[in-house]
Amino acid sequence: MPEVERKYVTPGELIAEGNYKSISNVIRINNRFYATKVGLAEISHEGIRVIPLTGPYIPRVDDLVIGKIVDFSAFSWEVDINSCFFAYLSAQGVFGKEFSPDRESLLKKFSIGDLIYAKVIAYDRTRNPLLSVSGPGLGRIPKGEVVRISPAKVPRLIGKKGSMIKTIESATNCKLITGQNGIILIVGPPDGILLATQAIKMVESEAHLAGLTKNIQSFLSKYKEEQS
Amino acid sequence: MSAVKKSIVVEQLRKVQMIELLSKEKRLDNRGLTDFRPITMETGIIEKANGSARVQVGNTQVIAGVKIEIGDPFPDTPDKGLLVVNTEVLPLASAYAEPGPPDEDAIELARVVDRGVRESHMIDLSKLALIPGKKVLAVFVDVNVLNTDGNLLDATSYATVASIATSKMPRFYVDENGQIKQSDEIISLPIDGIPVSVTMARIGDTLIVDPTSEEEAVMDARITLVLDEDGNLCAGQKGQPGTLTFDQVKLATNIAKVKAKEIREIIKGEIMKDARS
Amino acid sequence: MKELIDEKGLRIDGRRVDELRPLKIEVGVLKNADGSSYIEMGKNKIVVAVYGPKEVHPKHQALPDRSVLRCRYHMAPFSTDTRKPPQPSRREIEISKVIREALEPALMLEEYPRTAIDVYLEVLQADGGSRCAGITASAVALADAGISMRDMVVACAAGKASGQVVIDLNDVEDKEGEADMPIAIMPNLNQLTLFQLDGILTPEEFEKAFEMAINACRAIYNAQRKALMDKYFGKAEVGEE
Repeated sequence: MPEVERKYVTPGELIAEGNYKSISNVIRINNRFYATKVGLAEISHEGIRVIPLTGPYIPRVDDLVIGKIVDFSAFSWEVDINSCFFAYLSAQGVFGKEFSPDRESLLKKFSIGDLIYAKVIAYDRTRNPLLSVSGPGLGRIPKGEVVRISPAKVPRLIGKKGSMIKTIESATNCKLITGQNGIILIVGPPDGILLATQAIKMVESEAHLAGLTKNIQSFLSKYKEEQS
Repeated sequence: MSAVKKSIVVEQLRKVQMIELLSKEKRLDNRGLTDFRPITMETGIIEKANGSARVQVGNTQVIAGVKIEIGDPFPDTPDKGLLVVNTEVLPLASAYAEPGPPDEDAIELARVVDRGVRESHMIDLSKLALIPGKKVLAVFVDVNVLNTDGNLLDATSYATVASIATSKMPRFYVDENGQIKQSDEIISLPIDGIPVSVTMARIGDTLIVDPTSEEEAVMDARITLVLDEDGNLCAGQKGQPGTLTFDQVKLATNIAKVKAKEIREIIKGEIMKDARS
Repeated sequence: MKELIDEKGLRIDGRRVDELRPLKIEVGVLKNADGSSYIEMGKNKIVVAVYGPKEVHPKHQALPDRSVLRCRYHMAPFSTDTRKPPQPSRREIEISKVIREALEPALMLEEYPRTAIDVYLEVLQADGGSRCAGITASAVALADAGISMRDMVVACAAGKASGQVVIDLNDVEDKEGEADMPIAIMPNLNQLTLFQLDGILTPEEFEKAFEMAINACRAIYNAQRKALMDKYFGKAEVGEE
């Protein structure tokens, strides 16, 4: 059974010494491994990594994100995806290669303030992220409420194979769409949305604690009891 | 951690929700139309200043400091002391605030707050003349906005008023040689009444009190009214390019009358707490 | 010369020559900022906000391979004994530069090309050593923002007052003493990132002051760590799932 040692770390702290592999958020100097962020360090036979508890959303290709249209030109929309850079959604990608640049058409399709569910199709160190809305379920978000959490906590919210999200969905009768960028859309009845929001906020503040899944489950079932 | 634009873009869905709720006389944060967010105040936090106050209205956070110094009077008011109110929206306050000299919003902020204090005669400036025509006391109030979430006008006003009302200084006097001296006695500024500012925003046909950043991004017009202890209006300012109907102005004065009383109690409570400590 | 240390070896605020002023650090005090902190060191009260990484405007200031670090140290008009006008002075501009240069070695700027990271320090009350307290608070705010860091940065000033080497000079000691030497270090990598000297020290005094300052920095680093641990981990047990 693989043993994993865990400890809380702050930047610059020595995590361990030995012949390990660096996985993420770790600096190696000779055989000493130091943390580069505030987070949870994990030391195992796989290597050493730090799961950060704070930090910006850095887009990766194939990430699904929820973005807000903040501007547009004749060629593309500018989208706020809660990252260091604005992202771009190309008009040709939406209307087709034959599309000739025209602000009117863009304004009619997505206007400023609209929320979209999109995929990151390109991003590297030389340019802003590019988005696409071609794909099942992608495009303009017509309704629902938005909750924001620190992007660093998204993996915890999703859980192993989406288990945490599914737990919240079934307990609240809502559908949750989670953007890797820390923006979550909740669609459902008003009291379900309220409960789901509380559960999400709870995951965010307790992401680093033992027994989180149990805590969330008991929080949700206690609410159900109070309702019946 | 977003890249920066010039101002907030409010999500369409949020706007729609806001307007729906307003028709039911509710707001996004569950407040009623005339409810203020929680207001907290702390005075006497900067010992080197003569007076200071940190005020939070919801998430809007400002800090004011008073420095009282000896200066020359203005030529047209030779026997009055000086009151100078200066505000700065620090670059700390939001992703949209940039370092640099105050812009037109920050200047308007300072001038409206100044008017409220000056026209209410909160400080009797004639009591601040040490040698009339030559030397007077100058009261500088500098307000720094640390975090913005709407309604900077009221937060700045409350911090200005609270810091002035709790200011302490040595008693200055003129000796037999005409020299200005400081005694060991510590006195307060001569204060007469607490003016209170109430800011309202019009969104569609509805007037709401104490707008958040989101509500300000959507509002059509804004009106601030400052009332003194006798219920007189001593300063006012309409903001934004939108209009107000005459009925809305009347409604605003009625709302302001009620809210000013409530908030005056909060300010006075903090002043008393400061006096006891 | 004003007597800054009495016959019992006590300074004007009652401290011994090797004693630090009371210290308090809070993390995450401003809602809008990406990271923030507040520090009290003696009578110094400083709040720091970090915004970034974010797009650079104007675009030509961006660097293709790393982030641009920008720092603004500013004193509130009410922060000093006599009111200070709000416009940045030459002193504030110099201090902004040395603070930036003190923090930069610790930040992994190459991870965020074509962006800027802004650090805004506002001194609400100053009483000697504000640039050091500011650096200490800035490192905490940067960690709070989740920006990748090789190490923390921590600062303290040593100096000389009434003929003796002292640590953590207050305003009076700074103004009337014989020397003031602020330093900043990366405490785990053992590297110096800030060094300034204003005054006169013999080589022996310098060595003693330097060692005193390094030790003080290590003590303050513990306070930084504790402040971050308290905010992020509370008194909790490590998560196991």
